[in-house]
Amino acid sequence: MRRKKLSGVMVAVALLLGPLAAVAADEDVSRRIDALSREIEQLKAQVRVNEEKAARSEVEAKAVTQRSQERALDRWLTIGGDYRFRVDSLRGETRPFTDVAATFANAQNRLQAEFFANPNAATGGALTGLMQFAQGMNAVRTYSDALAFLGANGAMAQGLGNFAVPVAAYKPRNDTLYTNRLRLDLHAKATQDVSVTTRLAMYKTFGAQDDDAVTNGGAAPFFADRVGVFDGTVGHVPSSSTVAVDRAYATWSNITGRDIWFSVGRRPSTNGAPSNLKLNEPRPGNGGTPSLLVDYAFDGMTLGYAPDIDGFAGAYGKICYGRGFESGFRHTPANAIQDTDMFGLSVVPIDTDKLRVWTQWNRGFHIFDAPKMSGTFFGDTAPRADLGDIDWFGLGAMSTLKNIGPGSLTLFADAALSVTHPSNNVSAQFGFQGLLTGGFFAPEAPTSKTGHAIALGLRYDLPSRTRIGFEYNRGSKNWITFAPAADDVWTAKAGARGNVYELYVIQEFGGTPVSSFGSKAFFKLGAQYYDFKYTGSNNWVGAPVRIADINGQFSTLTPLKKAWDIYATFEVKF
Amino acid sequence: MDRKLVSAVVVALAMAWQGAMAEDVTVVGPVTRIVLAPDGQSAVATLKDVRSGSEVRIDISDELTLDKFKDRRIVEGDEVRSRFEKKEGGNASKSFRKTAGC
Repeated sequence: MRRKKLSGVMVAVALLLGPLAAVAADEDVSRRIDALSREIEQLKAQVRVNEEKAARSEVEAKAVTQRSQERALDRWLTIGGDYRFRVDSLRGETRPFTDVAATFANAQNRLQAEFFANPNAATGGALTGLMQFAQGMNAVRTYSDALAFLGANGAMAQGLGNFAVPVAAYKPRNDTLYTNRLRLDLHAKATQDVSVTTRLAMYKTFGAQDDDAVTNGGAAPFFADRVGVFDGTVGHVPSSSTVAVDRAYATWSNITGRDIWFSVGRRPSTNGAPSNLKLNEPRPGNGGTPSLLVDYAFDGMTLGYAPDIDGFAGAYGKICYGRGFESGFRHTPANAIQDTDMFGLSVVPIDTDKLRVWTQWNRGFHIFDAPKMSGTFFGDTAPRADLGDIDWFGLGAMSTLKNIGPGSLTLFADAALSVTHPSNNVSAQFGFQGLLTGGFFAPEAPTSKTGHAIALGLRYDLPSRTRIGFEYNRGSKNWITFAPAADDVWTAKAGARGNVYELYVIQEFGGTPVSSFGSKAFFKLGAQYYDFKYTGSNNWVGAPVRIADINGQFSTLTPLKKAWDIYATFEVKF
Repeated sequence: MDRKLVSAVVVALAMAWQGAMAEDVTVVGPVTRIVLAPDGQSAVATLKDVRSGSEVRIDISDELTLDKFKDRRIVEGDEVRSRFEKKEGGNASKSFRKTAGC
């Protein structure tokens, strides 16, 4: 009976709890589904985050890559340069003259010796007189001063003739002058429109650390531009292994979105057209100056504009300014010398392969009588007189004609004029000579002198990479240029008063360029012949004298009648 | 009177020149690609315009520029100022030279 009751209760409980249990199971499943849904959402969110991260990483990676590419050295820095070995075989013929520096030294030495050998009033007076004469001479500033001084000291000036050191005509020669030249070029593009260009240069004589080999070391130099190395010629005249900054300038291009540029620094005012032909270098582009007028490492600035005009391809114009000598503080007890400046205007109406035409005007202000140099034949030199101004005018053209026979022919013609505007000053350190006026102790009233020069040449380029060139220069009696940095050993042929002939052959190697598109190596064999008609080539101090008339006159430089230079080079441009 | 006439001529010429130039497009930028035709009589140069950053393809057929491509006086990477005319779906070069400066 109890068992039946118990079973009944259990059945009743089961019937009662059955649906309740089913409900509980549904809720459990539902909770699990909810939990799974949340996990799925979380996973989806995680995936989205990961995808976004990955996308960001990709963008960042691209940006990093772009930045690294933009900063890659080859995008902003160009390195190049050249090495040259050169051997020159030099011959010359001089005219007899009286060496001024040697004469003064001789007078001083002899009078000192006489005084010490026999010290009395006469020998002491002579020595004192010479010293007073030298001191008085250094005080002379103007042409009038010079006349007055010579009037008061005529006897002493004539007396110097007793100590004259005549130099008979001789034939200088140097069978082998070896030189090394290394130049390293850097071009850095700093910002979109601003760049900096640098050239470091070393030009060394084999077996020496000085310039004696080209300055007639120990004897009176032959030419004013080869008395010593100075600011405008360092790195261009053989001397020592010192590496000099030949060029360093910053250029701002695309000013106002036009082809206008401003450039300042140590300028590329050397080796301009058409000298690039014999140097086997590309045309100088907007840089450079006509080599007949200027070849001088100037510190200065340029403002240029290259308008894009149909029919005048490559046209540009620029104004240039350079400082040739910085005189330092003015209005001091010791300094009466002005700065020497150069101002120029250049217009190139067309610059194409077929035709390049250039016109140029320069004016040199406050031309000095000697640049600052150390250890020259004349001792340490410095500007001591402002001799006046010089105007230069130039007009030239160059043309390359293709398919002339098997090769191409480049021709050039250049003409120039120099006009002096002398001041009343004379150079005391050079015997009262003025700007192309006067002789040693023979001052001449300041008058304007006009000189002219021409340069003609051609180069024939063969498919065999052989280039054959011929050039001719002629300068008149009063021609003066500003080209002491020209790549000529005897003297800048652009400034020769007479005729200069040059013949050369270049043979390039055929190897594939590696270091740059313009890299190349070549040999060059050339010969120069100078036939001087007047004294003082490349010297604006003193009046030129016909070479044929030179026969023992006082001269600070050795007058050269003829000169030859046979040279060979091995050059590598990288 | 003469001055007025000269001034008028100068202004007219300037306006005519400006008008002619107005049809041209000038782009400055580095050369990113130079493709010289096999016969050497034409080339297509691509410049990256420094202003917009976009690349511009320019058709070149003048001998002066082609010679510069051939002897590598203008190479990829050089910054160039190019003036061209939109013509027949392309850009026909009227001048193509390195930006001035020294």
